[in-house]
Amino acid sequence: MRLQASAALVCAALAASAVAVTTPARAATELTYMLWGAPSEGEVWRSVADAFEAKHPDIKVKVEVNDWSSYWQKLRVVVAGGNPPDIFAMDAPLYPDWQSRGALLNLQPYLDADPKALADIYPITLEAYRSDDGIYGLPRDFQTIVLYYNKDMFDAAKLPYPTADWSWDDLRRAAKALTLDKDGDGTTDQWGFWSEIGDPEPFWAAVVWSYGGDVISADRSHTLLAEGPARDAWHFIAGMALDDKALPTPEQLKQYGTDGFSAGIAAMTVSGHWVVPEYAERNFAWGVAPLPSGPKGRVTSVNSAGFVISKTTAHPQEAWEFVKFAAGADGQAALAKLGLAVPILKSVAEGPAYLDQPGPKIDQRVFLDALSYARIKPSFRGYEEWSTVVGDALLPVWNGDAAIDDALDEIGPAADDVLKAQH
Amino acid sequence: MPPHGLRPQGRDRAWLLLLLAPTLLGLLLGALGSVVATAGLSLLHWDLLTPPGWAGLENYADLAGDRGFLKALGNTLAFSALYVPLTVAISLGIALLLNRRVTWVGLFRALYFLPVITSPTAVGLIWSWIFAQDQGLLNGIVTALGLDPVRWLGPRMVLVSVVIVNVWGAVGEGMIVFLAGLQAVPRDYYEAARIDGARPRHQLLYITLPLMVPSLFFQIVLSTIHAFQAFDYIYILTRTGTGGSTLPTVVYSIYRTGFGFFRMGDAAAQSLTLAAMILVLTLGYFRLQKRWGMPA
Repeated sequence: MRLQASAALVCAALAASAVAVTTPARAATELTYMLWGAPSEGEVWRSVADAFEAKHPDIKVKVEVNDWSSYWQKLRVVVAGGNPPDIFAMDAPLYPDWQSRGALLNLQPYLDADPKALADIYPITLEAYRSDDGIYGLPRDFQTIVLYYNKDMFDAAKLPYPTADWSWDDLRRAAKALTLDKDGDGTTDQWGFWSEIGDPEPFWAAVVWSYGGDVISADRSHTLLAEGPARDAWHFIAGMALDDKALPTPEQLKQYGTDGFSAGIAAMTVSGHWVVPEYAERNFAWGVAPLPSGPKGRVTSVNSAGFVISKTTAHPQEAWEFVKFAAGADGQAALAKLGLAVPILKSVAEGPAYLDQPGPKIDQRVFLDALSYARIKPSFRGYEEWSTVVGDALLPVWNGDAAIDDALDEIGPAADDVLKAQH
Repeated sequence: MPPHGLRPQGRDRAWLLLLLAPTLLGLLLGALGSVVATAGLSLLHWDLLTPPGWAGLENYADLAGDRGFLKALGNTLAFSALYVPLTVAISLGIALLLNRRVTWVGLFRALYFLPVITSPTAVGLIWSWIFAQDQGLLNGIVTALGLDPVRWLGPRMVLVSVVIVNVWGAVGEGMIVFLAGLQAVPRDYYEAARIDGARPRHQLLYITLPLMVPSLFFQIVLSTIHAFQAFDYIYILTRTGTGGSTLPTVVYSIYRTGFGFFRMGDAAAQSLTLAAMILVLTLGYFRLQKRWGMPA
């Protein structure tokens, strides 16, 4: 009897305390935000989420960070399993794959209700997220491609630093002069240039465009990267890589890591802002300059990472509030401090949060000015498979095992097969 | 005749079933369930995000024209043709050498087994340094001998290099299987043979090897399955900057097709094709073994 009584008492006390805990605040809405990135990015996003929670006490945001490849794998599994995060990060080239399959929420109604939401955003960064019937995602930052150069290597060779007047031929000449066998053992140990060369960004799309060629037709049905003036661009790249041997081959690069500039074996590279925090830790001096121009002018590539809301989220309004906050001035200023990208808001990008960000003293305006001659990184359904077909076919060329023209002849039909399968 | 202890009777049988139930259930739901699900998926068009649509045998028919898959299949077959005989022969050789009273026999056995229990990712990285073009260990030796450096992971040598690493990683396991087989051969057979004047060579050919057929068979089947599923070392040694591989195998193609390219149905069809090939090969081995008159 006594045992029962005390048990009942304990239960009653527990129930009372549970009521006491839950009654004051309304049950909080919990949002999950999944993104790719390094742990340091997760921390900054956590601080953005904290600032958001302070303004919206009834919403809690759970920030979940994964590295790039596990992010996409995990995202596919949770979305397919019917348990998607409310908000998740998106890369513009992959956006059509997700948007066209109906996984994303149309933000148009929210934008219509809040016409000022887009007012300060650089228009070009929004373009990739526009679809026929609305906008299904917002950019969170952007990347323009610029030229990075190792000042120590230029100084040692007594060469002038790259300028805004450079053409691709100037770059090629300098790269050749900076390719050296420093220890005299018969093998090259310093190259004039290195760039990631599988994906159109950062290097080859910009060269193809500045030669007057194109990557893909406007209706996304035909691969153009091997046609007309684009071929001249490829011959230029192949000349640097194979005739001058001014680029480490992929096999050579593997011995030093994945980024030749960061490893201190290449005097120049082209890249977006995402490398700045890593290069800042290197023990050599470096600077940035605008991308060189080609026969048809100067063209660079711009890409924007963004976020999207799951179509099946139970809290679309709250998720929209978070996206709006993160794309707004406070969120953007916090992200600018990371130094991994350029803010999408003009007011933040041209203010101290971006221009005077902590880290290396480089000319941050080069990244902003690049918008005036930038084209959007190609983006279409089937992008990942298409870029794999292109990158894999070119790899033997960079290792010296295949001729550039043979590889280009092969790419056209194989890449078009991928595009055809998407229609 | 099998010892009585191996055949559970009466109450023991119930206990056995109860104790095995967790594993059996796991196998049934996990392994068998996913096999059935994969078979079902292979008949559908499914991109993970939109509802699946019926494809019938279309995914299988498409494999014949899928450049990526055909290339991967060729690589897997070439890899297996080198890997299986080499692994079986070398691990048998090591087992024969270490089945005697050699000094340090325990140490040698442990050394040969070491690769089996080390992480393929970590060891794979060491191998990529060994094979590196300008600063690699192997090319250091090659150039010291006055020869031209070899591009070990270049298109002409990559298959051989990858086979070397995989065989190196697998002989330890084969050695254990063969050592167990060797120690099961009754000592008196050799004694009788010696009395009849058989030399060591004859003992090997007429006693050891015939009695080893079940172990050999087991090891060949196992190596074939491993060869068809090889992934870890190959991925580490041959991956490219774009997430591709200079020697893509079928397992690699399945992974990319399904999780990279939103083509789950095609990936499932590739999986089943691979499984069917392993099944046919294993059945072939079974027939061969029967012909040799040895019980499985």
